[in-house]
Amino acid sequence: MKKLNAFISMLALAFALSLTVFGQARITPLNIKQRTLPNGLRVVSLQENSSPTVAIHVWYNVGSKDDPQGRSGFAHMFEHMMFKSTKNMKSENFDRLTEDVGGYNNASTYDDFTNYYEVVPSNYFETLLWAESDRMANLNVDEANFASEREVVKEEFRFRILSQPYGRLFGQYLEKLSYTKHPYKRPGIGNLDELSVATVADANSFYKTYYRPDNAVLIVVGDFDQAQFDAWVDKYFGRIKANKTAIPRVTEVEPERTEEKRYNETAPNVPFPAVVISYLAPNSKDKDVPALKIAETILANGESSRLYQELVYKQQIAQEASFNADIRVDRGLLYFYAIASEGKTPEELEKSLLAELTKIQTSPVSANELAKAKNQLITKTLQDREQNDGKAIAIERAVAYEGNAAAVNTDIQKLQAVTIADVQRVMKKYFTDKNRVVIYYQNGGEDK
Amino acid sequence: MKIFNPCSASQICALVLILFVINLTTFAQTETPPKPSAPRSAKVPAVVAKKLPNGLTVATVERKNVPLVTVQLLVKSGAELEGNDKAGLANLTVALLTKGTKTKTASQIAEQIEFLGGSLNSGAGWNTSVVTLTVMSDKLDAAMAIMADVVLNPKFDQKELNLLKSQTLDGLANNLKQPGFLANYVASKYSYHEHPAGGTPESINKITSDDIKEFYDENYTSKNSVLIFTGDITSLRANSLASRFFSKLSKAEFMKQTIDPLTVKKNDQNQTDNSGIIKRFLVIDLPNSGQASVSYSKPIKEGRTDSSQNDKEKSSDIFYPANVLNSVLGGGYSSRLNQEIRIKRGLSYGAGSNFNWRWKQTNFGTRTQTKNESAAEVAELVMAEIKRLIDSKVPADELAPRKLVLTGDFGRDLETTGGLAGRVAELISFDLPMSDLNSFIPSINTVTAAQIKDFAVKNLKGGDLIIVGDYSVFKDDLAKRFPNMKIDVIKADDLDLSKDDLQK
Repeated sequence: MKKLNAFISMLALAFALSLTVFGQARITPLNIKQRTLPNGLRVVSLQENSSPTVAIHVWYNVGSKDDPQGRSGFAHMFEHMMFKSTKNMKSENFDRLTEDVGGYNNASTYDDFTNYYEVVPSNYFETLLWAESDRMANLNVDEANFASEREVVKEEFRFRILSQPYGRLFGQYLEKLSYTKHPYKRPGIGNLDELSVATVADANSFYKTYYRPDNAVLIVVGDFDQAQFDAWVDKYFGRIKANKTAIPRVTEVEPERTEEKRYNETAPNVPFPAVVISYLAPNSKDKDVPALKIAETILANGESSRLYQELVYKQQIAQEASFNADIRVDRGLLYFYAIASEGKTPEELEKSLLAELTKIQTSPVSANELAKAKNQLITKTLQDREQNDGKAIAIERAVAYEGNAAAVNTDIQKLQAVTIADVQRVMKKYFTDKNRVVIYYQNGGEDK
Repeated sequence: MKIFNPCSASQICALVLILFVINLTTFAQTETPPKPSAPRSAKVPAVVAKKLPNGLTVATVERKNVPLVTVQLLVKSGAELEGNDKAGLANLTVALLTKGTKTKTASQIAEQIEFLGGSLNSGAGWNTSVVTLTVMSDKLDAAMAIMADVVLNPKFDQKELNLLKSQTLDGLANNLKQPGFLANYVASKYSYHEHPAGGTPESINKITSDDIKEFYDENYTSKNSVLIFTGDITSLRANSLASRFFSKLSKAEFMKQTIDPLTVKKNDQNQTDNSGIIKRFLVIDLPNSGQASVSYSKPIKEGRTDSSQNDKEKSSDIFYPANVLNSVLGGGYSSRLNQEIRIKRGLSYGAGSNFNWRWKQTNFGTRTQTKNESAAEVAELVMAEIKRLIDSKVPADELAPRKLVLTGDFGRDLETTGGLAGRVAELISFDLPMSDLNSFIPSINTVTAAQIKDFAVKNLKGGDLIIVGDYSVFKDDLAKRFPNMKIDVIKADDLDLSKDDLQK
């Protein structure tokens, strides 16, 4: 096998041997290796031989925001097709290579990206690298598979959106009503009408456009030998031809909001009213993101959080009250929401949510609250990294949101550096009376 | 990073590339995947168990992977021991523990645990009530002090109970609008002759703080409890923390009270469909439901442990065959139900099955959701798969991978403190020996196709088909596909599990 002669960078991170110390708890940096193949495929690897498994992620820089016009939900539906046949594999062969040998596989479509992943006993590592390279280069989409999988996706829509009391609110209205221009306004799950008209030709064109080595990152964590892995990558991924055409990218920019907008929506089988109040977030690389993550934790993480204590525990007007910093590659959403307790109204929920916003804007959070939020986020980071797959996910998110795998080792320092003043500053900056969308959601007929 | 680019005119390059790819697709031979290398086996970690002077068992599994520790107090009493008219009592009792002690309010408990970055959760299942702490190992002492206070000195404050009851009722109201939840909820009484473990709106309203105190005093005793440590901790430190914080747990003798199984007066006549499998057929009508839930449920008169053994508990003979049968039928993506309903026909997002183990009974159930229009078709497919298990042996080339699904899941569970704690807790809750952790994989591997068929013939016939959905949509198709069945219909709004006929 010819070894590819190309620009290969292998970098061990400068601080690989140092430890980030908070109190006594240590977060060991992930000693990742990175390189790029001549065809543009980026490869990130982390050898961890403590248990005989390996986690493999193939991350593609295409997500629901790239759904073609009139084909809302298409990126997700296409994701399902990636488990069907290729030139060398029958449909569902990935299950034969993973589930049937004691592993598992799955994939998810996000607004900004799509990931395919599996965890297998490490003696199957080479087999899976071959299989991932095969579906990157040789997918076959046939009519019968496409038609049947479309029905599965429609059932997924009915399951997630139509069969759960608040499915329509968080899976449809939140995005549809919060955006005016950016494709984030089209929910990733799509809708039954647009899913129904998608064709095999759409799938082939989508595959050709986005599924290519220079639009992907291979991330592996687990029980392997680095030199052996590098050779397998060269053998199976190195032979995929480079594609020099430009990849279309979303360029729409969601404009700043200039006035409050209010909506009343209804759906059947909704036992209690709910309210969502959304604002536009900065993009994922913005320096304000860590402070927003800390604010999110103070407002909504755990029973000691401000929103739980105030709306659920003291006022007892909500069974659930929360705040999400839904940070995305382009401008995401910062949103408060609450679901009413028996007999309470959306007006009461809105008033109390906004009172909590005013409070965090006008008076500084306490040193105690800030320290607590940091401890909660460190514990979560440790929990997330217990298994190989969790480490691969952490690396993947750094790639997706910061454009750089090495950021996986600096995120904690950024959170740790957030000050009381930072929290107050970002809560004033992104939230005003003139830039909010308020959605009331209650029992009633199906809105069209 | 800049990549070496041999082409200056990128568009032409792309054209050449496309032709080349087409060329490859047409003439290249297909490849076979590279073969696996020799497997490395997973190590089953050692469980170190010790009994404190007050009778409390402490079990420790050390795993130095990340600096986290999970501590579980497992009380071997759950919904099984609450009265049928007080369904939800075990869960409210354990939930109320964290809502105030003699010296701390609910808010102070949450604040102090979360300040340490930890979490303190509690909940009850059918056989157990559990308080779980997860925290960084260097903050364990401080967090354990709070956990012990919550377990040993609960206040059971009336105001906190009122809030907890209204939160539980709100949660139930949400769940009762979902077809999948409704199906399980009804099956608990209709098929399994049990009350729903989380309670009903009627039973929750009846529970008083006296009920809770009584349940706590009778069950939260040292001899009825086990403290399980997993993660970054030695057994030495675990034992020392356990005796420091839990030596005051009540030494009262634990007397297990059993409750009578429920009876259902509705439609309890025997009938069988053409396949000889379905005994009863129930529809819960939920108008405008986004999907229909289709399920088959059957109680099995043998439990998790072998009842013929008196002095020492032993795993029941049906446990391993049932696990492998479940993996074939409905455990995992490629199981038969998901193959037939989702992969081949696109009728659902997923279909599966499970066994819920009790001491002396096992609840078998299948589950899936489909559009209302295809509810009857899916019901036929589910019944065909049950019939296939009864009529024919699982082929060897299907059996082998389905066993690997189970042993692979087991191996991965050992990788996390939570997964390990769960496996250990399951054994402890049935008084089974820790050596079962080592025998799990070999026991799964020795199950035969004949054992599975035998199990299916004996145990899967005579259950109930339950559909929850918009009846007006599938009524005619159901009558057509199941012409000889008497179908009982209850409106979701009329459902009342406290009544013998399930209706208000």
